Amino acid sequence: MNLMVTPYPPYRDGIAAYAVQEVRQLRADGVDIEVLSPLPSAAHHHLALGGVRGMAALARRATRYESVIIQFSPEMIFGACRTPAQRVAVWAGLRAVASQTKLEIRLHEIEYGPLDRNPAERRMARLALQAADRLTVHTRREVDELVTRIGIDPDGVTVVDHGQAFRAATALNREQARDELGVGRAGHVFLCIGFLQDHKGFDTAVEAFARAELVDQAELHVVGSVRVDHPELTAYARRLAGLCRRTEGVTLHQRYVSDEEFDRWIVAADTVVLPYREIWSSGVMERAKLYDRPTIATDVGGLGDQAPAGTLFFTDTDTLVKAMTERATLTAGRAPAAGRPSAERSATGNAGSPPWLVDSDAPDRDRIEAQIRARVRARQLTEPVEARAGAAVDPLLALGPLPRPHAVSGRPGVSTVKRLIRRVIDWELEPIVTRLDALQRATIEATAELDGRTDPDRSDDPGT
Amino acid sequence: MIEPAVEPNAIGFVPPRFGDDVIGGAEAVVAEAARGLARRGHPVEVLTTCARDHYTWANEYPAGAEAVADGLIVRRFATQTDTSGVHRDRIGARILTGHGVDIAEQQLWANDSLRVSELWHHVLDTAGSYRALVFAPYMFWTTYAVGQIAPGRSIIMPCLHDEPTAGLDIFTSLLAGTHGVWFLTEPEAELGARLFRLPSRHAVVGAGLHLPTSYDPDRFRAEYGIDAPYVYYAGRREWGKGWSELVESFAELVRHHPSDLRLVTSGVGPIDAPSDVADRIVDVGFLSDDQRNNAMAAATAYVQPSVMESFSRTVLEAWAAGTAVVANAGSAVVSWHVERAGAGLLYRNGLELIEALQFVADRPEAAANLARGGRAYVEQHYRWDAVLDRMETTLDAWLPATAPATAARERVAP
Repeated sequence: MNLMVTPYPPYRDGIAAYAVQEVRQLRADGVDIEVLSPLPSAAHHHLALGGVRGMAALARRATRYESVIIQFSPEMIFGACRTPAQRVAVWAGLRAVASQTKLEIRLHEIEYGPLDRNPAERRMARLALQAADRLTVHTRREVDELVTRIGIDPDGVTVVDHGQAFRAATALNREQARDELGVGRAGHVFLCIGFLQDHKGFDTAVEAFARAELVDQAELHVVGSVRVDHPELTAYARRLAGLCRRTEGVTLHQRYVSDEEFDRWIVAADTVVLPYREIWSSGVMERAKLYDRPTIATDVGGLGDQAPAGTLFFTDTDTLVKAMTERATLTAGRAPAAGRPSAERSATGNAGSPPWLVDSDAPDRDRIEAQIRARVRARQLTEPVEARAGAAVDPLLALGPLPRPHAVSGRPGVSTVKRLIRRVIDWELEPIVTRLDALQRATIEATAELDGRTDPDRSDDPGT
Repeated sequence: MIEPAVEPNAIGFVPPRFGDDVIGGAEAVVAEAARGLARRGHPVEVLTTCARDHYTWANEYPAGAEAVADGLIVRRFATQTDTSGVHRDRIGARILTGHGVDIAEQQLWANDSLRVSELWHHVLDTAGSYRALVFAPYMFWTTYAVGQIAPGRSIIMPCLHDEPTAGLDIFTSLLAGTHGVWFLTEPEAELGARLFRLPSRHAVVGAGLHLPTSYDPDRFRAEYGIDAPYVYYAGRREWGKGWSELVESFAELVRHHPSDLRLVTSGVGPIDAPSDVADRIVDVGFLSDDQRNNAMAAATAYVQPSVMESFSRTVLEAWAAGTAVVANAGSAVVSWHVERAGAGLLYRNGLELIEALQFVADRPEAAANLARGGRAYVEQHYRWDAVLDRMETTLDAWLPATAPATAARERVAP
């Protein structure tokens, strides 16, 4: 019996999506494999990893298996570590796993910062990684970094194809995918897709699209959601929403999408844009390759190695403008894009709405009206406040939820005392914070509603 | 044990529980649909858990595959319930009170109860062998998690209620990404259109009843020693199903209005009656279909206190038995049934329920006359043959069978 240690579905996560495709392939090949995930999931087992205790438990379990594959990410391995000493101990635990069984470490990402700061951790990381029977990464650049930053022997590192086990989640063609998504067939569709977070750089793509002045022949769709309700992430999403709202030809679809819808967007796209500020390697790039969709990307992390021939790389907004213009020119022969303001497109319910169910030969007026009403209602219920709002609500949105001060200090022991104090007074503070956030939310809702009423572009009244 | 291979073109139904002694509206609809399609010659499998009880999810049936009546194959997989439930309770409370819950928390909530890893991996391995996979109802892990594996051949029968969980991102993305959606009623479909970006392939297929040709109310009364007039409730006795409100209102009726009325109930869950009215509430336990039909026929009225209804089979069973219904107007589906059939009374709060019960107690003959149109309504709209026809039509349009199974079906079908 073999074991894979990894985040796993139904959690939506890049590594989970990667791992399940490998598990499917291994099982199809007759490999007897179980899965252990850090949180309860569809995996056979779960174990709270992220700290010393979890890694020690994994080392004990490893003896039961012929081999163990760890889909390594800092969040899963070190997420609960609070001190450098704990991190060193976790690396030692990983080394212990390697001593118990045949171990493959598949490095999806590694944090070099702590290793640079702490020679002891760097040394233990090197020992742990080299103790594995197999150390695998997805790009040559990652091998080079391991060699230069940690001193790993390059002969001990194997590069494996990121998309070797990837399978298509949709059988639709481009036209069908666009119909299902409510995207026009004619224009050149640029796509940015994934969790909305600063390091993905989707804002750069929006700015470049605006500067390229492509609105008559192209549109940019930004698709994704905020992964966790963290002030930094929600603030970024709000900024991005505002930017998209103000940029003609850009539509933000801020929602959580299924694997199938994710692939549907890739298929619908003419060009997938990966404006990442930092990344190790990209699952989105692999899915674009799977459907033969061209990409425009920054040359960061392993993207350069991962990218297929024909990928356009850019270094700043100017070069991205040039790349987008070049790509849009290739489809300029098709009929022009809608070229309407994004606000108008939202109001007419083009993007993301279900198709009309109407018998062309015998249209049923009641049924059409019912669909119109259902669409309006569905939009009111599902559209995030940010997408409905006009300008007046922006300052409120920028505030974000009331942040709690971080319990950190450079002095030994002070962080612990701060955390203790917070725990003691939390029963008093929490209701106040909750109430303040609720009041802010209510104010945002009310202001957004007023914004909607006063913005003539957003009227739902067919008479206006 | 060697598991049988999936027959080509098999239709797989994936309910959280399956069995003759399993109580649950969605489970009953799935079981009937699976058996009905199997009787029509389709290769049909039921992929489910070993659990009988949805409170404990304990593994009570043996794991593995077995052939049951009508040529149905049932594959059972062991449940895992090894989490503390802390996230389920904490996050669940916030969901119910309408607080925002981010995606990470929604996922924690959804995975902190029943999980069925072996079922999930069975579908991961074999999804391509099935013509279609039908999941119901939407909120269980078997639908939320397993339903994501092969969306291109998945149909979800959400059995939707208007409740806070229905709007969670994890479910809206599931419904948006699935190949097709089957609804049980028009009100449920309208709710689905409001809450979700539905795929283009969605239809109201409905659900049906097998109408008994005769009832024996006296036999039920004799069997359980019930002489007095009674109102009846069948199903899960839990807060979410409106049981608590029914008990409270019934207790108030007993305390303040002189009547001999009893509340008879069958199903599962604690009674939790106030001590001063406990002797007026009769729990007859689990009933067979025949016993339940007789209990319906013997009742002065059937009470449907739940707002969480996507079809409300018991309301239709009551009408089929010629019994009036007293129902919670908060359920769009039940209101829709009552308004169309005209064979019952709707109440909007506990006070109105007390008055409705009082009416039933005071004027049983009027209640019986009120029920007159009920059976005709059921006969007209809820026959299983018509439901299975609609399921077959949509399957043929959305996920047509490949040639060999079509040929087999043609051989078997009359």
